[in-house]
Amino acid sequence: MTPGLYGVLFVVFAPVFGGILAGLDRILSARMQGRVGPPLLQPFYDVGKLLQKSTRQINPIQEPLLLAHAGYMAACGALLLSGTDLIFTAFVFALAALLLVLAAGSANSPFSFAGAERELVVLLATEPFFILMMAAICKVTGASTFGGVLASSQLVAVQLPGVVLAFLLVATIKLRKSPFDISISHHPHQELVSGLTADMSGRLLAYVELAHWYESALLCAFMVLLFNWSVPLGLAVFAVAYGLEVLVDNATSRIKWQLLLRSTWAATLLFCGGNILVLFVMGR
Amino acid sequence: MSLPSLVAALVALPAIVGAILILITRTSLRNTLVVAGGFVVAAVAILTALAFSNTGDVFFGLPDGIALNQALLAIEIALTAFVVVISLKYRRVVAPILAMAQLSISVWLELAGRLPEPDPGRVFWFDRLSLVMVLIIGVIGPLICINAIGYMRAYHRASPMIQGRRTVFFSLLFVFLAAMFGLVVSNYLPLMLVFWEITTLCSFLLIGYARTDEAIGYSFRALNMNLLGGLGFGLAIVLLSGQTDGLDLARLTHGPAAGALLPAIALLAFAGITKSAQMPFSSWLIGAMYAPSPTSALLHSSTMVKAGVFLLLRLSPAMSGSTVGYLVSFVGLLTFLFVSLVAVTEQNTKKVLAYSTIGSLGLIVGCAGIGTPELAWVGVMIIIFHALAKGLLFLVMGTIENRLYTKNMENLDALLSLMPRVSTLFMIGIAGMFIAPFGMVVAKWTAIRAFLAVPGAAGAAMLLIMAFGSSLTIFYWGKLLIKILSARRQTDYERSIEKRVSRYEWFSEGTMALGVLAATAGIGLISDHVVGPYALAAFSAAPRVFLAIDPATLMVMLSAVLLLPVIAVLSWLSPNYDHADFYASGRSANVGHVMGAALGGIKKVTLRNYYLDGVIDGGLTFRAGSVACGAVLVAMVTAGAVIR
Repeated sequence: MTPGLYGVLFVVFAPVFGGILAGLDRILSARMQGRVGPPLLQPFYDVGKLLQKSTRQINPIQEPLLLAHAGYMAACGALLLSGTDLIFTAFVFALAALLLVLAAGSANSPFSFAGAERELVVLLATEPFFILMMAAICKVTGASTFGGVLASSQLVAVQLPGVVLAFLLVATIKLRKSPFDISISHHPHQELVSGLTADMSGRLLAYVELAHWYESALLCAFMVLLFNWSVPLGLAVFAVAYGLEVLVDNATSRIKWQLLLRSTWAATLLFCGGNILVLFVMGR
Repeated sequence: MSLPSLVAALVALPAIVGAILILITRTSLRNTLVVAGGFVVAAVAILTALAFSNTGDVFFGLPDGIALNQALLAIEIALTAFVVVISLKYRRVVAPILAMAQLSISVWLELAGRLPEPDPGRVFWFDRLSLVMVLIIGVIGPLICINAIGYMRAYHRASPMIQGRRTVFFSLLFVFLAAMFGLVVSNYLPLMLVFWEITTLCSFLLIGYARTDEAIGYSFRALNMNLLGGLGFGLAIVLLSGQTDGLDLARLTHGPAAGALLPAIALLAFAGITKSAQMPFSSWLIGAMYAPSPTSALLHSSTMVKAGVFLLLRLSPAMSGSTVGYLVSFVGLLTFLFVSLVAVTEQNTKKVLAYSTIGSLGLIVGCAGIGTPELAWVGVMIIIFHALAKGLLFLVMGTIENRLYTKNMENLDALLSLMPRVSTLFMIGIAGMFIAPFGMVVAKWTAIRAFLAVPGAAGAAMLLIMAFGSSLTIFYWGKLLIKILSARRQTDYERSIEKRVSRYEWFSEGTMALGVLAATAGIGLISDHVVGPYALAAFSAAPRVFLAIDPATLMVMLSAVLLLPVIAVLSWLSPNYDHADFYASGRSANVGHVMGAALGGIKKVTLRNYYLDGVIDGGLTFRAGSVACGAVLVAMVTAGAVIR
């Protein structure tokens, strides 16, 4: 298969993957709380229903911004799998995330604005990690593309234990799991109501969900990059890690953004930066 | 016309226009002359670019019978006398001492016969880097002058306390352009130094335009720092005057510098760092924000700071692989990191733009210090995109500032509803600065790729700086965008605001916006025909592909640049959209942007961006950065003198 085809496959199947993952997440969460939980395909039913509902817009530019948000998330995954430079995809990833922030902020309303500002902090906290992770993977394997890293004989995770560790933390943030769900939450009745999406309804909310499915699939692809010796292994590690995220989500309460920023930067500097420093000094 | 005569016209024309402008006091006549002069200068700059055959570097000299060194000395005496007189008037000590020190160097060189007359065929050097600079100065510069007509009228209307001295102001703008043209085509270093000092003086006078205590303080700060850099330049000339071909810039920077030349290279790099406002010399450019916006636009986009990075890029092949080069690179990268940290804590939009300039310049300095063809290519590409986008941003900010009477980011709320067309131009500027290939993506990506190859702890440090610095830029641009894109119903008065923007402003800002879009679309052409060949020639390197981007990636990048402007246009094409109430726990009363308060009554909604209070202390970070970069700078100059 040509790499370009992988890109197309990502655009088509990543939402299926992300949606099922979200369904599993809800069942697992429910079981942890002693409930039965919704059917596996509930997230798809939800999005289907959102698309049929009427949509109220606070600011007419929200819709194009959110469409672009989902579009760039999809494009980021497609570029990644079709063999674009890894470091480049880290920048597209940040751009896609920024568009959601702008869509929420443009509502100019208290809850959306607070959510947008906090999501901007999340972006500031996590983006250095993604750039460093991609750079470190390129350094270790000497490759610059997804296919190149998978074909490399170097075992990335073995040489980048610090990066893997930091990834677990950053993935928790990116999946918007507690204690890092500062900008948005599925749980109602808290200080932020629902944060970022407080002023989005109907199909706007459906775009946000769709984009989040792409984002989950992208994070999974990043995990495969780290465990590059076989794709199934990468998927398995992602599954285990995701299970842990759900557990953490159910066992912790939300922290303040200051702590999130400080701890993520510290972890990125310490684990990721330390790892990279060792790599460079050892002359690899 | 031949290239040498066109270049002569480039330097002479704006100088003549400037000289005439100082004699004209009638506003209408002045405006006509500024517009006409601007168009002529731009036309000559474009003709010069076309006359350059693009096959190789061109060297040429002055007509016979001109004793260049004596003429330069005479100009230096005049400049020094001017600095001394004006310093006495305002009772300042540092500036005259620095100026006198430099003059005494020149006089000593002349009296001791250390300064041989230059090779008559090699006084000027025109290559593709000069071409890029001539186009930037010659096209963006006049646009800023034209914009200033509209701006200054509104500026004096908004601040009636400030005594109008527009005659001098417009004259200085053109003299500034003339000096910049001379600077970027000089090959004989003492000649370049004279142009260098003229730009220092022009920016000093422009910053001090308002003649308030603050303005005078900031202008002397700029003067002191840049004269210090000029002194470094002068000392470098002393060191080089004893060497064969030492004062011939093209020969000096032909390849990695031999040990004996490194001290001089380090001093020249020091001069470049002061001029490009790198830490610890950043405060002069921040202080310059006090000046009228066209001055900021000029200093930031096409003149002054660009002279600093221009010199550093010229030196890049000579610094390649040396300790001096690495340390120069670190000054730039650390500046990028520290000013980006400071920028997230800043509310004044003009200052945020200024920090972003210093950060971009830091990236260029970081690239120039390492000295590889790829990084020099990145450096020049950033210069082009930054000049267009930042010039546009400052002009637009000037327009906004004079209509909304604020520079504070928090007051730019719902700008898209208030000034839809101006906001669209703003969006193009921001997209060009931050999302375009040479803002956020390709520049940083290529730089990170190149830093991966730097061995040892230095490489790791550079990667960390790039990762954190890039993320910080996303944060401050994101905040600004949220404010501009937010929506609110406007009053009748607010709807009329945009009608008061002058046609001079529309013309110059619209043209610049088109320039940003054209440069983005033509990125491949610019790289293949100008910047790529420049990098190969400067480093005598084997041909290679600089911009290896597949069509899909290019599409994603171009669409990203167009996205925000297109969304802005869409929003003003449908202004009658019925905005729904926002969610406020059931207590929203959106008319007038208010909501129900906890104990009854209604309160106006005020939304304030995060400035990371309690996490980052802006002032402390600025001082820490200055200390760190100062230490690296001292190490750089020392390394130049010690390490062979």
